[in-house]
Amino acid sequence: MKNLKISLSALMLISSGFAALPCAAEPFREYATDATSTPPSANKDHTNTYQYWKDRANLPTMNGTDEWKLNWKFRDRPGNDQLHGGDEAYDRGEMLYKKLNADGNFSACIGSKDGNLKGVRLMYPSYSEAAKKVVGMEAVIEQCAAKQNMKLMNGSYDNSAVSIYVASFSNSMPMKIDVSQGPLKESFERGKTAFNLKAGRNNLACASCHVNMVGNNLRGQTPTTMYGDATHWPTWRGKDELQSLHVRLTECDRNAGVQPLKIGSMTYTDIEVYLSALSNGYPMLVPSMRD
Amino acid sequence: MRGLLVGLAATVVLQACANQAQAPAKVAEVAPVEVKPAAVWPAGLPQDALYNPEGKNKTTWPQPVKNSGELKYNEHARDLSKWITRSSDDMRSSIMPMKVSLNGAPLNGDAARGKEIAMNTGRGNCWACHALPGDAQPGSSGPSLIGFKSRGYSDDMVYQFVYDRRAVNPNTVMPPFGAIGNLNDQEVRDVVAFLQSLN
Repeated sequence: MKNLKISLSALMLISSGFAALPCAAEPFREYATDATSTPPSANKDHTNTYQYWKDRANLPTMNGTDEWKLNWKFRDRPGNDQLHGGDEAYDRGEMLYKKLNADGNFSACIGSKDGNLKGVRLMYPSYSEAAKKVVGMEAVIEQCAAKQNMKLMNGSYDNSAVSIYVASFSNSMPMKIDVSQGPLKESFERGKTAFNLKAGRNNLACASCHVNMVGNNLRGQTPTTMYGDATHWPTWRGKDELQSLHVRLTECDRNAGVQPLKIGSMTYTDIEVYLSALSNGYPMLVPSMRD
Repeated sequence: MRGLLVGLAATVVLQACANQAQAPAKVAEVAPVEVKPAAVWPAGLPQDALYNPEGKNKTTWPQPVKNSGELKYNEHARDLSKWITRSSDDMRSSIMPMKVSLNGAPLNGDAARGKEIAMNTGRGNCWACHALPGDAQPGSSGPSLIGFKSRGYSDDMVYQFVYDRRAVNPNTVMPPFGAIGNLNDQEVRDVVAFLQSLN
């Protein structure tokens, strides 16, 4: 009996020893920048280009090598008045929205109090009591469309089309998400960490290019600041694809050699919160186009 | 008796660790790929990765289809799952900075093969950041490599730079090509030979 007791406790010790190893050590991590250094608002200090692009209606003229300083805002209206695939998506979004909202429940579901869509886009990303997590507007559109028996997968063309239509009612209103407390603050902090985390086969963070290399050439491309970038999504890309921010993040990750994550995943939503907070004060504008 | 107590204490610790490992609660999402046998999902790869264990290259990406409420999933050019992702659920470690040396042995690299790796976006992609001879749109994010030979670095040093620059400069943006398994050892040697040939 004594022998059995000893062998039993020895077994416990051995098994706990094995199990304790992986949890004792924190995983080794590298970050591109001091993750605490970026202030959460559209900020003229980062890259010193805000002065050029803050007013979409009065962008200065820049030549080819300086064009990046406009942060691609010259693709937006009113400076660029050409019709593009984003307008086509807007039309489809309007048609789908009217179908979805035939009984008025869809607009209520996405957060409109009286059926008016003005300002609804500015409520997102937000914490959903129902889902017990932070959600972007496209995730909510998917959920609310399902209640109307329409499948609008987060990231799909039709989901983004409805997102553009809804967001258009908030055009020229500044982004204003509050990340000072609660689940959105936690999400913002996680998003900042994910943005700065070196990952993938090239050990690159988002910040490796969009903070450390801003204004330098990556062959034919010039990375720009991530400030003021969240207010024109979903956008129509020149390769003829309508992309939500999360779809774009899967492309960013792949281009950098990082295994992409699911659309609507917590980490991509966290990055969306981070980028949205970095656009606070900058006005919405959809439909938009980017290269 | 004392042994038993220690054993019990260890079990408590074990329990705490198990809880810690499972910490992030999973919320059900619309899964683009059905994960059937748990065994083929790579150990440590978080569940929110876009990964199809039954696909050819495993790593997948979503493509919106015009006038459709569904996404089309395509295969990426390579399996990216062995490197860490951005997911908060990813508890795998990054690769630590690695000191390497040729230890006096010859480099044994092929400059022509090295050029094929360095000036190829799908392989080493050195030219994304560095100017190299003959590139019409040179990168400017890293120092120019034109005339690199004249800078007089030893093969041993350049081997370290390409294998893992972090061992020399902890704040570098440059990928640790050898240490992270992006290029194999021979490919690193070939790139070094190419750089040392740049007059």
